[in-house]
Amino acid sequence: MKRHSNNFIEHSLIGTLDFLKESLFAEEFALKKGFLQLLDPRIKVLTFLLLIIQAVLIKNILILFYLYALCLLLAAISRINLGFFLKRTWVFIPLFSLVIAIPALFSIFSPGEALVTFKLLSIKFVITQQGLSGAALFVMRVITCVSFAVLMSITTKHFELLKVLRIFKVPQVFVMIAGMCYRYVYLFIGIIENTYLAIKSRTGTRIHYKRGQQIVAWNIAYLWSRSYCLNEQVYQAMLSRGYTGEPEVLNDFRARIKDWLWLFCVLGICAFLFYLSRR
Amino acid sequence: MDSQIFELRNVHFSYLGKFPALCGIDVEINRGEKIAVIGANGSGKSTLLQMLDGLIFPGQGQIKVFGKELKESDFQDADFSENFRKKIGLVFQNPDVQLFCPTVREDILFGPLQLGMKKKEIEARLEEVVGILGINGLLERSPHQLSIGEKRKIAIASTLIINPDVLILDEPTAGLDPLTTRHIIELLIDENAAGKTIITSTHDLHIVEEIADRVFVFSQEKKIIRSGNPCEILDDIQLLEDNNLIHVHSHRHTGKTHTHPHQHLEHHHEG
Repeated sequence: MKRHSNNFIEHSLIGTLDFLKESLFAEEFALKKGFLQLLDPRIKVLTFLLLIIQAVLIKNILILFYLYALCLLLAAISRINLGFFLKRTWVFIPLFSLVIAIPALFSIFSPGEALVTFKLLSIKFVITQQGLSGAALFVMRVITCVSFAVLMSITTKHFELLKVLRIFKVPQVFVMIAGMCYRYVYLFIGIIENTYLAIKSRTGTRIHYKRGQQIVAWNIAYLWSRSYCLNEQVYQAMLSRGYTGEPEVLNDFRARIKDWLWLFCVLGICAFLFYLSRR
Repeated sequence: MDSQIFELRNVHFSYLGKFPALCGIDVEINRGEKIAVIGANGSGKSTLLQMLDGLIFPGQGQIKVFGKELKESDFQDADFSENFRKKIGLVFQNPDVQLFCPTVREDILFGPLQLGMKKKEIEARLEEVVGILGINGLLERSPHQLSIGEKRKIAIASTLIINPDVLILDEPTAGLDPLTTRHIIELLIDENAAGKTIITSTHDLHIVEEIADRVFVFSQEKKIIRSGNPCEILDDIQLLEDNNLIHVHSHRHTGKTHTHPHQHLEHHHEG
């Protein structure tokens, strides 16, 4: 029993740290030389916002499907593994949409023409055609939006995204804190991993759960104390290099012809889809 | 006196008002000098360096910088603060503290941008510093992807780019391989030859002669117990032993067991 509990903690800890490292720090796809990776990050973020807004406004499932297909095409020409991409995006669907979409299938919420009728615990459930098409439209809209958002984040280096935020006039202090969080989360992941290994090397695998709780609690306190100390030192290091409260940054993005072409292309797509949906 | 940069008189400092870190420090440092501060862990070296960089201030005693008494309130004057930070640069002991930006390039540019340097000047300095330290391939990487030696180089670059008159370094060679250590020593010698005042704290006794004209030895009582030229200090085995800078140990090589004070200078005498 104890072994199981230890394995559970070990798997959870290692799994969480690995997930954080892989999802936040790997930048495997952002470093590839695909279509989206080579775009100016400002234009990329702007065009993706336009496409997401378009997906939110469209009420025709077929047009949404074309937009989703465009997203998959962009992923493919950006050298993203489609299997990975689909897994990464569809994993959000139960989270964001099924809870809302499933009740919408039934006649209670979406009255209309009955499509399927069944009984459960002597209660009659009716799935309506209107309910089904509404739920399908909703799921399609969510997957399209999520796909564009994920595609943008995995094809852009995190520091470029932060720089884009600055350019879009998000307060510098906020962007700087976000960047520092990113930087120091990695440092603390390293500390947690090493602390865990140090504990393991001295305690072996069998340990009473109460002692385990004490060790974990002590380590949380220790980590907090380390982060507090680091916070003071980092601030001193900032002061030492002239920081006075409002960070200055260098804007070194350069948009090229290809970036402007892509912007006009997306504007054209949006206008065309808008026209189609209004027809 | 024009050539004097720092003058500390009977300086005391304690953390949280109850943990003494400096007890009665008297120091004078002149323009263009190479100074080494040596002492065991926790003897007050880093605290002194932070005080010289205007990050902490004496609880008692007086510190003068460029002939003027330095007070915490002076830094409320933006011009004074900018001028001071341009003239004095500190490389922290832990490079993770100093490298807080998402990329190496942003970390190096942080100082010049805060200090209002012009874009062209920043670009020229960046190119120069990158060339001196050989870090061209690292600019677009995140600091967390670097080795400790690379991080130290970037931390030095992020201070050196400001082109300060006084370069203060807190244990710049700690934990580095011999080649990187040599690279950093040569850099410090070159910067001093170019007119900078170099103040370095270290445990590495074998680099002291190269990086210092004068050495301050800290005792466990958080005081400067001796100062003098490197030869004088390094030849005083008793002084070094008493202050935990060398220790007597036994080891075995070429089939014989030796017992002697552990100090690297011996190897040079043998050679």
